[in-house]
Amino acid sequence: MLPSLSSAVRKTWQTLSSIKTGVVLIILVVIFSAAGTVILQRPMTDPEDMARAYSPAMLRFLDAAGLTDVFHARWFVALMILVSCSIVAASVQRFPNAWRYFARPYKSPDQNFRRALPLQASIPIRDEEHGLGAAEAVLRKHGFKSERIVRTDSFSLFSERNRISEMAVYIVHASLLLIFLGGIIDALVGWRGFLMLTPGKASNQIEMKTGFSRSLPFSIRCDAAGEETYTDGTPKKYWSKLAVVDNGREVSRKEIVVNDPMVYQGVRFYQASYGRTGTLDELVLEAKAATGGASQQISLAMNQAVALDPDTTVQVVEFIPDFVVQDGHVYARSNQVVNPAVHMIVASKKTMAVVHYWLPEIPGIAENASSPYLLEPKDLKTGVFTGLEVSHEPGQWAVWAGVVLMAIGLTFVFYVAHLRLWVVPVQNGNGSLVLWVGGSANRNRDAFEEKFKVLVEELRKELNPVSVPVEAETASVAGR
Amino acid sequence: MSRAKVEQQPATGTVLVVMVGLSIAFLLFMAFLNVVKTGNIFNEANLLYAALVFYAGAGALYLGFGVTGTDSYIKFASLATWAGLIANTAAVAHRWYEAGHPPFASLYEMLLSFVWTLAALTLVAEKRYGVKVIGTVTMPVAIVGVVLMQLLRSEVRPLVPALQSTWLHVHVTLAMLAYAACALSFALAMMFLIQDKMKTEAFLAATSIFTAGIYTAVLTRFEGWGGFNVVAWDIENKQEVFLSRGVRLFVTIPDLGWLMLLVFAAVLAPLVLYLWSAFKKNANFLALANRAIFISILLQTLALIFFLLRTRDGHYPSLDAEGLYATSLAASPFILSALVGGIFANLLYLLLLWRRTDLERLLPGADNLDRITYKTICIAFPLLTLMIAAGAFWANRAWGSYWNWDPKETWAAITWLVYAGYLHMRITRGWRGRRAAYFAILGFAVVMFTFFGVTYLLPGLHAYA
Repeated sequence: MLPSLSSAVRKTWQTLSSIKTGVVLIILVVIFSAAGTVILQRPMTDPEDMARAYSPAMLRFLDAAGLTDVFHARWFVALMILVSCSIVAASVQRFPNAWRYFARPYKSPDQNFRRALPLQASIPIRDEEHGLGAAEAVLRKHGFKSERIVRTDSFSLFSERNRISEMAVYIVHASLLLIFLGGIIDALVGWRGFLMLTPGKASNQIEMKTGFSRSLPFSIRCDAAGEETYTDGTPKKYWSKLAVVDNGREVSRKEIVVNDPMVYQGVRFYQASYGRTGTLDELVLEAKAATGGASQQISLAMNQAVALDPDTTVQVVEFIPDFVVQDGHVYARSNQVVNPAVHMIVASKKTMAVVHYWLPEIPGIAENASSPYLLEPKDLKTGVFTGLEVSHEPGQWAVWAGVVLMAIGLTFVFYVAHLRLWVVPVQNGNGSLVLWVGGSANRNRDAFEEKFKVLVEELRKELNPVSVPVEAETASVAGR
Repeated sequence: MSRAKVEQQPATGTVLVVMVGLSIAFLLFMAFLNVVKTGNIFNEANLLYAALVFYAGAGALYLGFGVTGTDSYIKFASLATWAGLIANTAAVAHRWYEAGHPPFASLYEMLLSFVWTLAALTLVAEKRYGVKVIGTVTMPVAIVGVVLMQLLRSEVRPLVPALQSTWLHVHVTLAMLAYAACALSFALAMMFLIQDKMKTEAFLAATSIFTAGIYTAVLTRFEGWGGFNVVAWDIENKQEVFLSRGVRLFVTIPDLGWLMLLVFAAVLAPLVLYLWSAFKKNANFLALANRAIFISILLQTLALIFFLLRTRDGHYPSLDAEGLYATSLAASPFILSALVGGIFANLLYLLLLWRRTDLERLLPGADNLDRITYKTICIAFPLLTLMIAAGAFWANRAWGSYWNWDPKETWAAITWLVYAGYLHMRITRGWRGRRAAYFAILGFAVVMFTFFGVTYLLPGLHAYA
């Protein structure tokens, strides 16, 4: 191949481009990938679970060997690079030969070729023109367009289909390299993070897994978020209405759900989670004066004072989503809106009296009885948050292109064969004129053999309407 | 070799038919208890039960062929498979209609689809490739699948947001087709080995190793005091009991561990006897090894029956928590299928032992089978590729990343690499025959691990179907 290189380099090249190397590398990738599924991996496991699963000595060893983060370890990346190199080397090594088949089709078979071809037949003919004409007709009937190859004193026929099939294997391997390229681009340039928004809030700070924050050149504003459940309580839909604000202008809007992200400037926003923040959004009350009279409906936000009459105001000062009473104090047990309590202050300007109003009325703490107004809760809206997974993966286009290319390549590798047919008039040993017919397929040979037999039979019938002793056919090396 | 066995066969054959018949009847009875519901007779559960009966009938008929050697058993087995497929199709249609989406959303539904695909492909293989006995391997798998289904939660659950995507249908359809094609290639590779005149003793060793492997996995649940650990089952909520996130509660069934240990010894005996006979070059030990297989089948059936009885309705103590906890067959579907699978594998070996000449007569030639195996893998491999690609695209839309080195994804990639290895060795290195068959069998083992092992055997996260 490259005679000027020293033999050491040549040996390395031979090893790298050999199939055996490829298979050994595949086996290594399999072993280490399997290890990465059996050994707990740090990026996906809580540190406490890791400490619980392995003894400290074992964990130190695994960490040192990189086995707790196999897929990002240097040696694994090196292995994948080696796999890519081996694919490239193997392809480069074999490509010239395949290109020869592809770029320079062998249209005029010489005597040695005719002798050696396994799939052939010889049919006696009266004259060349007649024989070749019949052959052209039969080939055309079977969908083979034939080309007349001019020789010194006569011509022969050559017909082929799906020459691209010779390149199929290279298409498949190139597609694999394209997929790897996409992965590498994303590993180097791509990023993923998290963004939590509450309705009305906008932000351009993305929280990355490393703990750092990444700033986007535009902001995302959440206008609304919600969930729908089925009758039995299982979640049916999580949705968020998002808007992109770029340079102060609202540029685009979308309602996203799981499986349907929003994309802007290559950054994708996915609906990942949804929940309650445990804060109060709006409390609707029906207030009725203790002295009697009509009731009015008021709506309170957190820390907002609303006038019940020129003298009295009410204000929510505390909202506890999940309250519990202990030692005469009210504590929050959790952030889940399970057992909510609202602490309000009813203040009278004239008397300067302040009443601590609690809903529900907590004995010993609430002073509801001394309030000038009776407050009845009508509706409680708590805050929600929507969790967005944010990612920028520019390499994915290479990956999808690679996948499509691989699908095409595999179709050609398995199902599309390069078929070639030659028809040459020759003088056989006895001096009589025969039509030599030869065929070749680069895969699915048994199916092509059947087709060849049918073709030859038809040709015989065309040329010899009266049955003449047939010549020996297929699978014989001894041709004419 | 097979001549001598034929004389010996009639008496043991009858005992075996009785035992197997009783076991299948017992399995059907257990399934029946879970299945019979009042109301419309054409409901899904009854249709599935009908499918089970027909598949079990087909399996029994194939085994009957093994005992009697009458070819007509095969024809009736094929008809039974057809009947089972029709009932199965009706069950699928019913489920689809009730749920409003194709059956892809839970393990129950996936098994329903898988069993249907397996039966359909069995019939296709019989017609197109003329391999009429392929059902001997695929029907037992279908039976195990349907029995498993009887134990799993079967309510129609609405799709959670992550599953509401056409990509679910695309990905799962491709997966079912790919896995079924791999299962077929496995069966064809096994048949190739029969036609390639692999010695019956070699099959004995392989069967024994396989069953020993199953019992090794089962014995990981052996508890030091002779008990057997199974997962606790919350009967009210019909789900496993969890101590904390991802950590299941185990209960200990006393004495069952000793039984499993005994059966493990019985399962190893044929292998030991085979190795001894090969070492000492003494054929008598080989005859003993074949007897030992028979005994191991009886003991395995015993283990299965005890397992079924003890886990059905019991309250047992746990080492991890105070008090007695309930367990149920539904908590251990894979132990159950492993035990049943072991029995079937051994029965198939006996079928080979007693009816080898008949099988060789009924099967296509070795070269043909080799070629057909290759062709089947040529269908399976592109399907595997597209399945992985569809999964990646779906993950990208749902979770924001197309590849996470998740155990499920990684093992799917490993499966892909193994079959890619098969194709490389075959196309470029000309590996045919035996080596190719071994590779095909290895490939299917990896497929099974990807499908079941990842969810139930690997530590940590993402235990989804």
